[in-house]
Amino acid sequence: MKSLIIAWKDFKIRFMDRKGFSLMILFPILLTAILGTALSGVMGEQSLPKTTVGVVQNGTDQIGDYFIKDVLKGKELNDFVSVKIVDSKKKLTSLIHDEKIDAGIVIPNGWSQDLQDGKLKKVDLLVDPGKELQGSMMNSVLQTFVNRVITTSTSTKIVLTNTAQTLSPKEMNDLSIQLSRSLEKLAKSNAKYVQNASIGKKQVSGMQYYAAAMAAMFLLFNIMNGAKSFINERETETLARLMCTPTAKLSVLMGKFLGNLYFCIVQFSLFLVITHLLFHVNWGENIIQTISIALMYSIAVSGLAIFFAALLKDSKTADTVGGLGVQILSLIGGSMVPLTIFPNSLKTVANIAPNKWALSSFIDIMSGTTWNALLLPLTVLFLIGIVSVTIGTWRLQAK
Amino acid sequence: MLEVNHLRKSFGKTEVVKGVTFTVDKGEAFGLLGPNGAGKSTTISMICGLLPYDSGEIKVDGFSVKEHQMEIKRKIGVVPQDIALYPTMSAHDNLIFWGKMYGLSGKQVVKKANEVLEFVGLLDRGKDKIETFSGGMKRRINIGAALMHQPELLIMDEPTVGIDPQSRNHILETVKELNKQGMTIIYTSHYMEEVEFLCKRIGIIDHGEVIAVGTKDDLVKRLSGGTVVKMEVNHFQNRLVEELNTLPLVEKVMVNDDKTELEILVSSGHQALGELVSTAIKNFIEVSSIKVQEPNLETLFLQLTGRSLRD
Repeated sequence: MKSLIIAWKDFKIRFMDRKGFSLMILFPILLTAILGTALSGVMGEQSLPKTTVGVVQNGTDQIGDYFIKDVLKGKELNDFVSVKIVDSKKKLTSLIHDEKIDAGIVIPNGWSQDLQDGKLKKVDLLVDPGKELQGSMMNSVLQTFVNRVITTSTSTKIVLTNTAQTLSPKEMNDLSIQLSRSLEKLAKSNAKYVQNASIGKKQVSGMQYYAAAMAAMFLLFNIMNGAKSFINERETETLARLMCTPTAKLSVLMGKFLGNLYFCIVQFSLFLVITHLLFHVNWGENIIQTISIALMYSIAVSGLAIFFAALLKDSKTADTVGGLGVQILSLIGGSMVPLTIFPNSLKTVANIAPNKWALSSFIDIMSGTTWNALLLPLTVLFLIGIVSVTIGTWRLQAK
Repeated sequence: MLEVNHLRKSFGKTEVVKGVTFTVDKGEAFGLLGPNGAGKSTTISMICGLLPYDSGEIKVDGFSVKEHQMEIKRKIGVVPQDIALYPTMSAHDNLIFWGKMYGLSGKQVVKKANEVLEFVGLLDRGKDKIETFSGGMKRRINIGAALMHQPELLIMDEPTVGIDPQSRNHILETVKELNKQGMTIIYTSHYMEEVEFLCKRIGIIDHGEVIAVGTKDDLVKRLSGGTVVKMEVNHFQNRLVEELNTLPLVEKVMVNDDKTELEILVSSGHQALGELVSTAIKNFIEVSSIKVQEPNLETLFLQLTGRSLRD
């Protein structure tokens, strides 16, 4: 019970320290934003470029209207294409010049008037020479649409021509309506005839990687913050005063351990929610796995805090050792540079860093992993915590 | 209430407490007087159970400190020499925390915290953080934290170090009031006047040994007719001390740090005055004032140890 009182007091002190708390929450968020955005290319993310396309429609045309409304502004292209309706070709050219749009489409007057002959009038596609990829994408969209319209129109025409001699005008009319409805339905159908199957793991985005990396790195700071909290109590005599109260030494030490643990858990939870809401970071399909790793990592960090509290004599030394230690562990643990680019020897050395175990587990969870695969990191992190808190407690009790 | 018998403690090869023995009765205010480094804080730490002792025995209310630490800790309130509070927490929260560490809870602890804040005169500042307080106010909360569980024995280790006279007076009045209410108090200090004001019995400690114990009157009576003469001089020279030491009435001569005042322990103050002044004049040293001090604890300490309490 006394442990919980001490733990709550420690948590409150650190939570109410606005400067320190901001540092532990805002800094990793800021770094995630910078590194995640800047290094997204390095992580092999691929996506279609965002394209703004200007459209000029001369006169009115049913097919033209359908192309603009259901294709360009349709669901499938909505994420990548934004459409701007323009009055004239001259204005369209000027907008491309000013780089306000990436490509322009000019739909001619009576675009579909020759459709009965299996033809559509030519459409002008204007492209900024510096936006070749966007140009090719719009060319492909336009070509696919034109082919589909011509194919549907031609096949309808052939069927109707061949059956005209054998059917009465009424039957002919009914067939014509039925055929055109069926083809229209087919054309609009989103039915898939190819089953997609994923081979290998999901690609983790730069934002995802650095969110996990910063979480692992900034939780690491709690080793020194926790140790310093203990050393400060020793230096300001509050520890001596605590020892004058009817409280067992073990309860005091457990209180210090739990106070740090509370803070780690709250820090991680806030970071997870904020990165998800701000940067849409997907922490993985199985949130229980993420929470389990975060909890074990927090135990490891809090255990190491007690260990270093027993080892270090004053807060100045803790600051020096802490600053240096966190940087080294962050570097070898993959929080600064992705672990995948490390040589094999360094990958082996990285196993000594608790943040490496946490980071690689977070990445695995983001890519999709099994509980079986997480068993080793969970055990390693738990053991780091338990062994260090045991050694630290033993040394501090002896002191 | 407290029995300390032949207490000994060494750090490495240095023995810092050498057979300290004294007793404190229930409801008594006992002063432990001695200069810095005399062994007061080490003795206090052993009574509180913070430091193990090498030999001897400490009993609080009949319980041995070695065997019944938890029971004894419930009976004792400790006011440490340093401000042992959490600076970023409010005074009220600090008191609540320390109260809870002594087993208080719920409404009881909140009520007690308000009572203590009122007692130390800081009820209106309860919600303010300790770091915004003056030195004197911090000291008052430092005392308040030790009162949360209404201890039977309050041990105060130099609680007025480094504060302004007004706060000091407030603290001394507070301690006096606590003693009036029946609380047993052990007050350590190197300020003779504080101990004289608060305590009926006094133990004088130096170099880890209790060199005298008794009431102030008892102790002063032990002076073997010694008197301290304070002489202020201009243009001090070392040879004056040598010459004064050769005088038959002079037992000890001490010079302050800025060499402007001499404290001279003489066997008979008024008889010695003439000789002291003429020795100074003979050595071409101007005497700006001279006075004979009434015998007090300071004189006794000087006589017993050959050094000043504030050394």
